[in-house]
Amino acid sequence: MWSVTGALTVAVPPTAAACRTKPFLISSSFPKQTKKLHLSSPSLSLPSSHFSSSFKTAATSIEQQSSVNKGESTKYHFLVANAKFMLDEEEHFQEQLFERLRYFGERELVQDFWLVIEPKFLDNFPKITQRLRRPAVALVSTNGTWITFMKLRLDRVLYDSFEATSLDEALASNPTTLEFDKPKNWVAPYPKYEPGWWDTFLPKVTQESAV
Amino acid sequence: MAAEMALVKPISKFSSPKLSNPSKFLSGRRFSTVIRMSASSSPPPPTTATSKSKKGTKKEIQESLLTPRFYTTDFEEMEQLFNTEINKNLNEAEFEALLQEFKTDYNQTHFVRNKEFKEAADKLQGPLRQIFVEFLERSCTAEFSGFLLYKELGRRLKKTNPVVAEIFSLMSRDEARHAGFLNKGLSDFNLALDLGFLTKARKYTFFKPKFIFYATYLSEKIGYWRYITIYRHLKENPEFQCYPIFKYFENWCQDENRHGDFFSALMKAQPQFLNDWQAKLWSRFFCLSVYVTMYLNDCQRTNFYEGIGLNTKEFDMHVIIETNRTTARIFPAVLDVENPEFKRKLDRMVVSYEKLLAIGETDDASFIKTLKRIPLVTSLASEILAAYLMPPVESGSVDFAEFEPNLVY
Repeated sequence: MWSVTGALTVAVPPTAAACRTKPFLISSSFPKQTKKLHLSSPSLSLPSSHFSSSFKTAATSIEQQSSVNKGESTKYHFLVANAKFMLDEEEHFQEQLFERLRYFGERELVQDFWLVIEPKFLDNFPKITQRLRRPAVALVSTNGTWITFMKLRLDRVLYDSFEATSLDEALASNPTTLEFDKPKNWVAPYPKYEPGWWDTFLPKVTQESAV
Repeated sequence: MAAEMALVKPISKFSSPKLSNPSKFLSGRRFSTVIRMSASSSPPPPTTATSKSKKGTKKEIQESLLTPRFYTTDFEEMEQLFNTEINKNLNEAEFEALLQEFKTDYNQTHFVRNKEFKEAADKLQGPLRQIFVEFLERSCTAEFSGFLLYKELGRRLKKTNPVVAEIFSLMSRDEARHAGFLNKGLSDFNLALDLGFLTKARKYTFFKPKFIFYATYLSEKIGYWRYITIYRHLKENPEFQCYPIFKYFENWCQDENRHGDFFSALMKAQPQFLNDWQAKLWSRFFCLSVYVTMYLNDCQRTNFYEGIGLNTKEFDMHVIIETNRTTARIFPAVLDVENPEFKRKLDRMVVSYEKLLAIGETDDASFIKTLKRIPLVTSLASEILAAYLMPPVESGSVDFAEFEPNLVY
């Protein structure tokens, strides 16, 4: 189990790195965003929520820089969708998480990504919540760059980020039992991955609570 | 780049009425090229382009309709497309994320052989040995062709877009690793592909950049599905695990999947390739080309797939359906491959193609052979055209969907 101090100490470096990069991305992407809005055809126009999201991110980023200096909070990025899609239908998603976990083990890196089932932080994102089927699952990481990659891979997920002062706070969830119907017509020449594969990636504190 | 796309040239003839440059495709030379390809449709012997030693006599490479291809493109147009000074709309965050993912290099320490390989190869005798050698040779050639294309793109884009250039270079690292691993496998069978010779001697197919994007995206994603399917099947049925290379397919296929993600980002960065009626026609065209090529190839080599315990047609249909679902996340339109009629068309194509091959094996005069081929080529062409004209499925990334704000996840 991670201590709060340990978590912050270990988690800060990648966040700090991401934070140092972030302001430049924001400042450079803001004009691009504006220009794109002018130039793009109707089918490519960005919804207003995207625009406000970018603006919010810029503001958050400034706060983040200040906060990191004080060592008080960490920025967490997440992708969220319904559990059926993330954990049952997208089998390659499981493969990627295990690949990354194996890689972290080989390089003795500290895990910086988790799955959270029915995360409490969704209460702070009403616009996202109203577009989710339940139960929902979030892929959470302090590595924003990697989350950007996963958004490209998964496509059918919603992205956002938030600040939290502790890992436990960030990864808090509401207890839920997941059960998926067996597919009516499974034609692949191999069996489906066993349910429960995701337990490996749930926050440890949750698992201990369960016990 | 694991999949082969051999049918593109002949297929383009049949689709020409719907293409934007009909005059280009109606030229007599193109048509005569198709005829010549048909005439030499028998598969090359497994030892083609293989030499027991560098001093051995090199055979001229035989091209057939379904031989894995090497590709080149308009590098100047590529430079224009990804020039960050000219194109201000490139999604830098997405490319930076991809670059970081490739730099991670999940497979740096994985493709290491052991003594199991030689032992397994020595046990493979008779027809299965020959079939296996051919599998290794074709796979090696396909991976190597990806290496060449990506390496050149990495070199050419270095000045105008260093991030995209580096990603291409890192992908060529992956492909070189795959090709090298396969070529070492051939050494277990006392053979080796002369890759330097292949580089110089093979004919290169020219594709404009937008076609490279469609073709290569599909090639990488279908490669992922082929490798992961074989891996998961053999994991459950280890009695068919006749050669240790299959144990590496789990990690291998993730490389292919990531390569496909990069081409997704490339296409998103050029929305003109995804957002109009021409894009829909080309998307379906390339889907059909890749699926038909794979199906004809694999059915022709059914002994290999049955040798590792798979039902060839079931394997192919699974790969086609899953690849199509994945592709529906980026292509603006895909084929309705889950319509049972689609498989029936593929099966009729197999029948026509097998008859074409059989004609090539007879002792008839070439004039007689040509006459016999005409109805079969016509039948094959009409099935392909009919498959192309089946009502498509609308698709695409949610990033481009007009209705995105109303989507429920």
